Amino acid sequence: MTQETIETVTRERWARLGTAGSTRSKKRRTGIVRRPKTGMLFVAPAFIFVAVFVLFPLGFAVYMSLTNWPLIGSYHFNGVHNYAALGKDPGFIHSVLFTLLYTGIVTIPILVLGYGLAVLVRSNRRGSVFLRTAFFLPYVIGLPTLSYIVLLELQPNSGAVNWVLAKLHITNGATAWLVNTNLALAATCILVIWFASGLTMVLLLGAMQSISDDLYESAAVLGAKWWERERYVTLPLVRPTIALSLIISIIGSFLAFNQFFILTQGGPGTSTFTVVMWIYQTAFVQLHVGAAAAMSVVLVAVVGLISFVQFLLLRSNT
Amino acid sequence: MEGTRPRAGAMLLLTALGAALGLGACAAPAPPLNVAASGFGQNATGVVQFWDRNTTSPFGKLLVDQFNATHKNLKVVLTPVQDTQYVTKLATAIRAGDAPDLVGIDDINSQLFIYHKVFADLTPLVNALPGKNELSPGALNLTTENGRYYGVPYVADMSVLWYNKTLFRRAGLDPNKPPTSYAQILSDAKKITALGHGIYGFAFPGRCEGCLGFTVLPDIWATGKRLLYGRPGHETAFIQGNVPLRETLSLYRQLWTAGLSDPQSQVETDATWGNDFLAGDIGMSPLAYGPIAAAPASFRAQLGMTLLPAPSGGATATFDGGANFGIPLGSQNPSGAWEFIKFALQQTQQSLAPSAGFEPIRSDVLTPRFRSEYPFAAAILAGVSHGYAPKTIVYNTTFNQPGGPWLNMFDAAVFDGDIAAAMRAGQASFATAIDLGKS
Repeated sequence: MTQETIETVTRERWARLGTAGSTRSKKRRTGIVRRPKTGMLFVAPAFIFVAVFVLFPLGFAVYMSLTNWPLIGSYHFNGVHNYAALGKDPGFIHSVLFTLLYTGIVTIPILVLGYGLAVLVRSNRRGSVFLRTAFFLPYVIGLPTLSYIVLLELQPNSGAVNWVLAKLHITNGATAWLVNTNLALAATCILVIWFASGLTMVLLLGAMQSISDDLYESAAVLGAKWWERERYVTLPLVRPTIALSLIISIIGSFLAFNQFFILTQGGPGTSTFTVVMWIYQTAFVQLHVGAAAAMSVVLVAVVGLISFVQFLLLRSNT
Repeated sequence: MEGTRPRAGAMLLLTALGAALGLGACAAPAPPLNVAASGFGQNATGVVQFWDRNTTSPFGKLLVDQFNATHKNLKVVLTPVQDTQYVTKLATAIRAGDAPDLVGIDDINSQLFIYHKVFADLTPLVNALPGKNELSPGALNLTTENGRYYGVPYVADMSVLWYNKTLFRRAGLDPNKPPTSYAQILSDAKKITALGHGIYGFAFPGRCEGCLGFTVLPDIWATGKRLLYGRPGHETAFIQGNVPLRETLSLYRQLWTAGLSDPQSQVETDATWGNDFLAGDIGMSPLAYGPIAAAPASFRAQLGMTLLPAPSGGATATFDGGANFGIPLGSQNPSGAWEFIKFALQQTQQSLAPSAGFEPIRSDVLTPRFRSEYPFAAAILAGVSHGYAPKTIVYNTTFNQPGGPWLNMFDAAVFDGDIAAAMRAGQASFATAIDLGKS
């Protein structure tokens, strides 16, 4: 074929593609136009819900972030001042770094422990229902309640944690856990790992139980040991669920508030302020709702981006 | 369709923004109240929603019960609001256009709301009050701006140093000679701690920023120095180089490191504040009158009190705390609110304040009968001329919040020990917090 022929053919192909595309989209549009009312009616409740509870608040937050919006008193526009000021707010920067550190610490243990628990309780042995309930119970009780329990049990000289450690001759029982940054962070991480691994377990349990027994039998026939079955059968098949658990866990960690608000109140000093706590502090203590709205918009964008990337990775993996 | 999705998204966002703009326009301030109308504050009807500080609400409840029992057509409904949340909740309610009809606000926070012009101007009403000249001048000052009154004192809550005479005696100290300087506090605390068996010379609430401001700042004020200077909206902080502040942080540091203070002090919050002192194991503790008033009479009989001393002695001070009344603009029943205020400020009602753990706000309550019935409250009230409270809009953010500059500095100085570094960092963080509070 000559160069010209190639070009003609290519052009024709492109033209065909273009026509086909436009025909398809026309068809689809006519489809909607044909029965617009029914379709609209079906999506209306969802649309209204999203508009009222997601889009409007989001739009309002963006609007507020462009003003000085104090909690009391009048407000005026100040353009992107709030966004520009974020980089100069040491409290905000510290809270972002602390939140990243916290997320980095808890994410993998939650996944590993959740996976381990799921392996432990996935067969329908006697007692597995009890164990599943027991492992999931912290999640059902809720983080605020657990935090208050832990707050009491970590008190020096009176809490159970210190009592046990003293009985084991590890400490003198007077450790003030929550007024030391590292100890407070460690205690909070342990609490959260205990709290959140139950959810990961339930998610993975569902995925594991949906794997056909045939696959395990075939693997066994081929002489696979248990860890090989786990590695080559279970793991690949629960990978999407692992990704989902990670997304839920990471978003949860990014938005951490309750546990630190109750246990440390951000202290000692401001060392354990998470991003959401700093947003709360800025809006409702310093009364700068506009600046807090700018932080929230940035947080929404970052969390959205992380979820988007994770979903992309998840899609390419399956 | 793929191509139209972003456009639809943009449309939705624009719609949302438009709606938001509409709502933003609604958040206009409430119009001023006409308090000069004839019959204002008399024979009002309906309901008055009254938000009181959680701390002062026992007195509020006592007043409200009495008022409701004697007023058929006007009911006051009391809502106690947690102290650390008060500014947040009131500001949010005002912003939402849902302000209560009457507030009993920490007197230290009055200026914040007055500055933002959300409290009603009550000047003609206050001037016409029968006992106006008897009202605590310090508390009244916190309700004024440019010579006009935007509130009126409600009840007083002052800080003093309490000491346990039984423990003083056991430690060989004169039970009628409370410490008058830091050197004496330290030496008395040493002798009392030496008694052993879980007895300590001193106790303080190391995790309650508000309590620490209430009980530690007066020591500094006694010298005539302060931490905040400048009128509301123009505050500056004097931290670095503040000698009485350094001496005070150093006192608490020594009490802590020498083991003279209850080990619980480091984690003590307002929830348990004073419990250790009330248990009888603590020699001295700066506290309000509230916990003492609630203690059994047999324990009260063992106690003595003194105003908070300056580091080198020779002067004393107290936190002129408590609560002020204010009527938020947007109050649905300002007339009813003022009727209740007039009732609450009467001599009869004010003389009941000590039964709820507070001091009256008017000086003519100090009758011989009052003195014999409430000797401690009378003694504290007699010290009101030594009282001080900063007139500022930044107290809440600088002193009264966990993670605020005050607690950070106290924590770092007392429990970590580098006082100079803590004060250096404090100067910067106070300045930042003040700037944020002013803007």
